[in-house]
Amino acid sequence: MAPTSVAIYLSFRFLPPRPSPFCWQARGLRPIRASTNGERKVGALERRVGDLRTVVASVPPAVAAIRKNIGLNYVAGFCLGITVLAAIARKVIIRTHEHGNKGSVADLVRRGQLKPGQRGIAKPRVYDDPFNNPLVKIDEGTSTAQVFGKEYRMAPVRLTKEQQAMHQKRRSRAYQWKRPTIFLKEGDSLPPDVDPDTVRWVPVNHPFAAASSEVDEETAKQNVYQKDGVPSRVKAEHEALQARLQASDNVTKFSSDPRNTQCNDRQLRLSGESSGNQQNLMPGMVMNQNGQPTFESEKHRSGQNSQSKSLEQQ
Amino acid sequence: MAFAPRLLLPPPPPARCPPPASARHGGRTAPELSGPTPRVVVVTSGKGGVGKTTTTANLAASLARLSLPAVAVDADAGLRNLDLLLGLENRVHLTAADVLAGDCRLDQALVRHRALHDLQLLCLSKPRSKLPLAFGSKTLTWVADALRRAANPPAFILIDCPAGVDAGFVTAIAPAEEAVLVTTPDITALRDADRVAGLLECDGIKDIKIIVNRVRPDLVKGEDMMSALDVQEMLGLPLLGVVPEDAEVIRSTNRGVPLVLNDPPTPAGLALEQATWRLVERDAMTAVMVEEQERPKKKVGFFSFFGG
Repeated sequence: MAPTSVAIYLSFRFLPPRPSPFCWQARGLRPIRASTNGERKVGALERRVGDLRTVVASVPPAVAAIRKNIGLNYVAGFCLGITVLAAIARKVIIRTHEHGNKGSVADLVRRGQLKPGQRGIAKPRVYDDPFNNPLVKIDEGTSTAQVFGKEYRMAPVRLTKEQQAMHQKRRSRAYQWKRPTIFLKEGDSLPPDVDPDTVRWVPVNHPFAAASSEVDEETAKQNVYQKDGVPSRVKAEHEALQARLQASDNVTKFSSDPRNTQCNDRQLRLSGESSGNQQNLMPGMVMNQNGQPTFESEKHRSGQNSQSKSLEQQ
Repeated sequence: MAFAPRLLLPPPPPARCPPPASARHGGRTAPELSGPTPRVVVVTSGKGGVGKTTTTANLAASLARLSLPAVAVDADAGLRNLDLLLGLENRVHLTAADVLAGDCRLDQALVRHRALHDLQLLCLSKPRSKLPLAFGSKTLTWVADALRRAANPPAFILIDCPAGVDAGFVTAIAPAEEAVLVTTPDITALRDADRVAGLLECDGIKDIKIIVNRVRPDLVKGEDMMSALDVQEMLGLPLLGVVPEDAEVIRSTNRGVPLVLNDPPTPAGLALEQATWRLVERDAMTAVMVEEQERPKKKVGFFSFFGG
């Protein structure tokens, strides 16, 4: 450091600090003056003004301090708080509104239980011709159309019959396809007399991949064409349940009646005899429900007749 | 969006019989049903997510509102969702698989819409159940035939086909006589649609019409998207309808109410209604709204500032 600059620096150090206009006022120091009453009042006024000036002067530093400390986080938090309050208020208003309208006939209409026309709530729509509609205006001279307030340029369709036929021919050459008539699951073997082009291989997870079915094709077709009556499976389940109930009723009746014990003994003896008889039966003969020998073909025929009658009744 | 404006057509040949009353009066109250009923229509696309189910639901709802009884069949055995769009998801308890098994009759498996009494829904199967492999593909053929023989046969049977060309597709197209091919104006959907059109023609279904879905006129104008005419040029099939992109489609799905029931109608809903009319009359579009254009500004005079 140069000696002259040091001297200047030291001289500055020894000079008293220049009093700032608000320095002593900020510190609350007051100048000492000899005064009369008027001067005292003036002094008091000056003090008050000084205090006021102090407050005013302190505000900018305070604002700056607040701005410095707050940052964006507080602003964002404030906005978020306002949003949350608005959402809560909206929910409360909606809830009170719903509570007021709970259980009205309009709810039944909204759920589809009542027709709106009957209540006069919804006015029926007058159907407009979609080609002759006030929302659509066609300008014949300029080949434009105004639709929903916007203007569109119109152009005629250029496709001719010859072009259509040409495209059909192109596609027939490009896409040779025979509609598949047989669906097989992937991994199954191809039947010997089936054209591979008519087979469509179905993945295991495909909705068509149920290989076995409880009903056969003919029964399924009849189920589709059934117009009235009880559906076949429901009827079959009902009949099976009835038969089971009858069988259980018979068992309970037999077990409760003491006279039936003798019958049971007789039946046991008879069954023992009939089993012996069965060994002596001719081939093709079986015992029917009454214990009488009968031919097997007759029994099967009677069963088929009963099944066809049940289908006709359906 | 699209139309069939009569003035862009050549003058019609002189009619031998007088036109129907509705046409004579200049306005139309209902479309004229063409062909013997019931008409079995399969709604297919090949590619998934182009709007088959939405189209099926809205066509069926529009038909029912025109007092044409319609049965909508969800032929997607694994991923059933037609019931969601119709708002009937809580009412489907019996399906065609239950009919096959003999658990219920066909009329018991049909779910009638509460608001549209002419609309019924039939689901093929529940998501976790499986159809018999041997004859599961014949289910819809039997169902269509049984409905045809019913005391009150429907006018339309709309079959919502699953995506792809596997067993579900084969089952869905089996009873169909006509097809509605839904596509979007992008190359991937168009390629799949072309393939499906080829398979349908091989199978004997010649009456195929296309619906171009999710069209953005702003992108068409900026040549970022193909127009409906470009799509038709690529596929070579008649146009049944052009449906613009509409956010109301999603809202109607959320509500479980078909878009065509909106009042006032939306652009997409109006386009689907027009497509329904063309389907009923076996008609096709003759002109298409290609792109949006700016309206010519009015000339501003000196006195316009003063309200003149």
